[in-house]
Amino acid sequence: MSKELIELKNISKSYDGQLVLDDLNLVIHENEFLTLLGPSGCGKTTTLRIIGGFETPDQGQVIFDGQDITSLAPNKRQLNTVFQKYALFTHMDIAENIAFGLRIKNKTDQYIRDKISYALKLVNLEGFEHRMPDSLSGGQQQRIAIARAIVNEPKVLLLDEPLGALDLKLRQDMQYELIRLKKELGITFIYVTHDQEEALTMSDHIVVMNQGYIQQEGTPEDIYNEPENAFVADFIGDSNIITAVMVRDELVRILDVEFPCVDKGFGNEKPVDVVIRPEDVELVKRGEGRIPGVVTHIIFKGVHYEMEVQAGGFEWLVHSTREFPVGTEVDIRVDPFNIQVMNKPASEDEQAIGVEE
Amino acid sequence: MNNRIRPIEKIYMAVIFLFMYAPIVTLIVLSFNRSKSRSKWGGFTMQWYLNLIHDHEVLNAMANTLIIALIATVVSTLIGTAASVAMTGMKRRMRSLIIGVTNIPMINADIVTGISLMLLFKVLHFDAGFVTVLIAHITFDIPFVMLSVLPRLKTISPSVYEAALDLGAEPFFAFRKTILPDLAPAIISGALMAFTMSIDDFIITYFTKGSGFDTLSTKIYSEVKRGIRPEIYALSAIIFVAVLILLFASDRMKARSARRTGVVKKGMNAKLKTYGAVAGIAVASILIIAMALVYGGVFSKNSDQVFVYNAGEYIDPEVIELFQEETGIEVVYDEFESNEIMYAKIASDGAAYDVLCPSDYMIAKLIDNDMLMKLDRSAIPNAYEYIGKQYYESATAFDPANEYAVPYCWGTVGILYNRNLVNGPVDSWDILWDPAYKGEILMQDSIRDAFMVALARRGYSINTTDPAEIDTATADLIAQAPLVQAYVIDQVRDKMIGNEAALGVIYSGEAIYTKRENADLEYVIPKEGSNVWIDAWVISREARNAENALKWIDFLCRPDIALMNFEYITYSTPNIAAQEMIEDEEIRNSAVAFPDEETLNRCDTYISLGEEGDRLYNEAWKKVKSAD
Repeated sequence: MSKELIELKNISKSYDGQLVLDDLNLVIHENEFLTLLGPSGCGKTTTLRIIGGFETPDQGQVIFDGQDITSLAPNKRQLNTVFQKYALFTHMDIAENIAFGLRIKNKTDQYIRDKISYALKLVNLEGFEHRMPDSLSGGQQQRIAIARAIVNEPKVLLLDEPLGALDLKLRQDMQYELIRLKKELGITFIYVTHDQEEALTMSDHIVVMNQGYIQQEGTPEDIYNEPENAFVADFIGDSNIITAVMVRDELVRILDVEFPCVDKGFGNEKPVDVVIRPEDVELVKRGEGRIPGVVTHIIFKGVHYEMEVQAGGFEWLVHSTREFPVGTEVDIRVDPFNIQVMNKPASEDEQAIGVEE
Repeated sequence: MNNRIRPIEKIYMAVIFLFMYAPIVTLIVLSFNRSKSRSKWGGFTMQWYLNLIHDHEVLNAMANTLIIALIATVVSTLIGTAASVAMTGMKRRMRSLIIGVTNIPMINADIVTGISLMLLFKVLHFDAGFVTVLIAHITFDIPFVMLSVLPRLKTISPSVYEAALDLGAEPFFAFRKTILPDLAPAIISGALMAFTMSIDDFIITYFTKGSGFDTLSTKIYSEVKRGIRPEIYALSAIIFVAVLILLFASDRMKARSARRTGVVKKGMNAKLKTYGAVAGIAVASILIIAMALVYGGVFSKNSDQVFVYNAGEYIDPEVIELFQEETGIEVVYDEFESNEIMYAKIASDGAAYDVLCPSDYMIAKLIDNDMLMKLDRSAIPNAYEYIGKQYYESATAFDPANEYAVPYCWGTVGILYNRNLVNGPVDSWDILWDPAYKGEILMQDSIRDAFMVALARRGYSINTTDPAEIDTATADLIAQAPLVQAYVIDQVRDKMIGNEAALGVIYSGEAIYTKRENADLEYVIPKEGSNVWIDAWVISREARNAENALKWIDFLCRPDIALMNFEYITYSTPNIAAQEMIEDEEIRNSAVAFPDEETLNRCDTYISLGEEGDRLYNEAWKKVKSAD
């Protein structure tokens, strides 16, 4: 793993007596695409603003490249931010917008001109130098905001839900654009979003946050396949989260039916939560599976059918390429490696599970 | 339904507009009226506007107004904008508290704000004048700036400012480059609002100004209380138009600023710059005009001064100019509305003014109360060389040894009548009791003058204190009341010029003027006799600049100066040399301005009635007025 660039140590922050971040610790590596993911109010934007210098933590330190920058003013930090609502200077044209940071640094006119054309090329908006920001579409404005940030050659680019205001198609295009940019620039991106798909698509590293706490960190695959708690499981994609009992290693009792699994070390007869992704639930003929059920609802989603199956007193969400009409009697089967067993939170504090979305 | 309501709505609107704008339209029309009468159109003229340019006092007041408005605007805009920006960083509860507190001066009655500021300045021992008025104006302007800036600030996303910081800008530079351009229309609009409020203010200025300092509003007010010169119509019209333009500009700014919050149009930037430039030029030119107007020296506090307290419109302003030029003494000139007001002022602060010009009976009262200084005869040679002996003789009625007063103007009270509306020549007060003129008679609305008419008609002394004589006069006045169109003071002049009445009791000084305006008017002193009055200069016993006050009196007695004054105010001068120098033969020999000795012998001056006399007259007058 590459070298550590930013370290947040024991950061706490509250507004009007309300705790937003509680003793947060986080390490960000060089050349990483790190995403802070969570529902609104989880503290992700505050974390980003603390890194950017727009907020000062009540407690804790921000270490940047070995230096403590906790109380350094934002204009002195070697990082730049792309804001959610673009924050372009509406009374300046595109070229003046991009040149803003460079002029403050007293760069030569030639240097600035070169940088502007380089940056516009990078964001695919060549020839836009003398347009006014308000004559551009949302996507174009966001790309200008990115261009304005990167001409300053920051070591880190902070992106605060930059695609939040764009429509779906544009958002997907911009996701690829950002990945490409990240590769070309070779710098660290710290990205804030509440959109799990965006996070999964772009990131090297995802930090899932809720109510001021980090719930889980890891690669997109780790987060998706092995959520550590019900909140993460629920927040990342659709899930069947079911209360269960770990009978012993590699055997779990779900809805009074025992299933073999691959998890170990939870103890014997221990209450747990299990996560089964809808695409991992197999529907088979009556008698061939473990729990009998009836299809109660079906809709066609394009790549697959989304069905609800009443089985063992639980309403299962199932994705399948095969169609089972409403009323079909089926059995449910799950492969052992598709059952993700998680600890049940022992206390309120540990829980922090809003399950808002 | 709608269609049926429409015409009513329209009429309703029309009535509202009529009520709102009729007075202003009247004012503007009168400002172009050649005739000084309020009821007669004498043709179109720009004369009153031109006169303004030469009116030193009005120009001075205008300069004060503009300088105060300008400085107050700049300072309050800076403070108001800074405060608004600072408040965005506050917690909500604190912010609403501060908004509430700053709004108080705006909601608070002006009179309360004015009086409390006045008290504060007194407690702090601030000399009332330019600085106190300026501080007061800044105080009440700030909320207006904030009122305009705060809402606009709320619509500006702080992320633009943060973006600039993020790109390496220092906080102030970031503010100037991002927030300020968006805020500019609201700031300019607020500044225009503040400027308008400052120019507009009367009450707060009135309480914080102090003597010898006036803005336009206080100047106009002091003039209006005494009857209005047409120049004041012109001035008011100018102010109305100026304020209208400012409000309009402020509104445009606000509309512009509101539009910017919605879909922002391309090229807005250029328009904004144009507006900024226009506003800048406007402010700069106002500044230049203001500076040019101060040539008299609003700020140059001369230690060599004389404080003059005169009746309204009772001097040629050029005379004051000349005096200042020739002697180097600065004249602080204030005007009073009535002898009684003057008396109250001097009684409360004898050092407030050095030299005063009261009427005969009031001089007697001032002498009785030991409020005057004996004059040093050697210092005022002109007073004894040029003022006619007979006037000093008359003055003995109130200044028995001629020790205190130098006569300034004098005149008689008589009947002004319209030849076309009255049959045959008028020679007696009796005509005012002739039922043929029912509703055509104007009486003076003052105790002494009204009773003088009734007493003289009966052949009684006009200073009588005999209750039986007063009772008879009272009965006569009550009997006359049904014939009287109105009891008025200044309006006698205007109504007579406008042919609104056939007969009126009037002062001789006004008679000369009315004849100029309406050739059908004649003035007569009835054969039964009348009042002759004298206004004279006296010096307050506590005067701080007695020497300069003597120079002032002596200067006014110079024949050329007395002549200038006579031609301006048209009240008869007691200055014999000046009388002889009057070029217009008709006026020089006018029986109105200078009645012959035989006529004057029939007239008496008023003398103080004493406390008991005052009480008798007051009661009798009440009876007359309630019968009216």
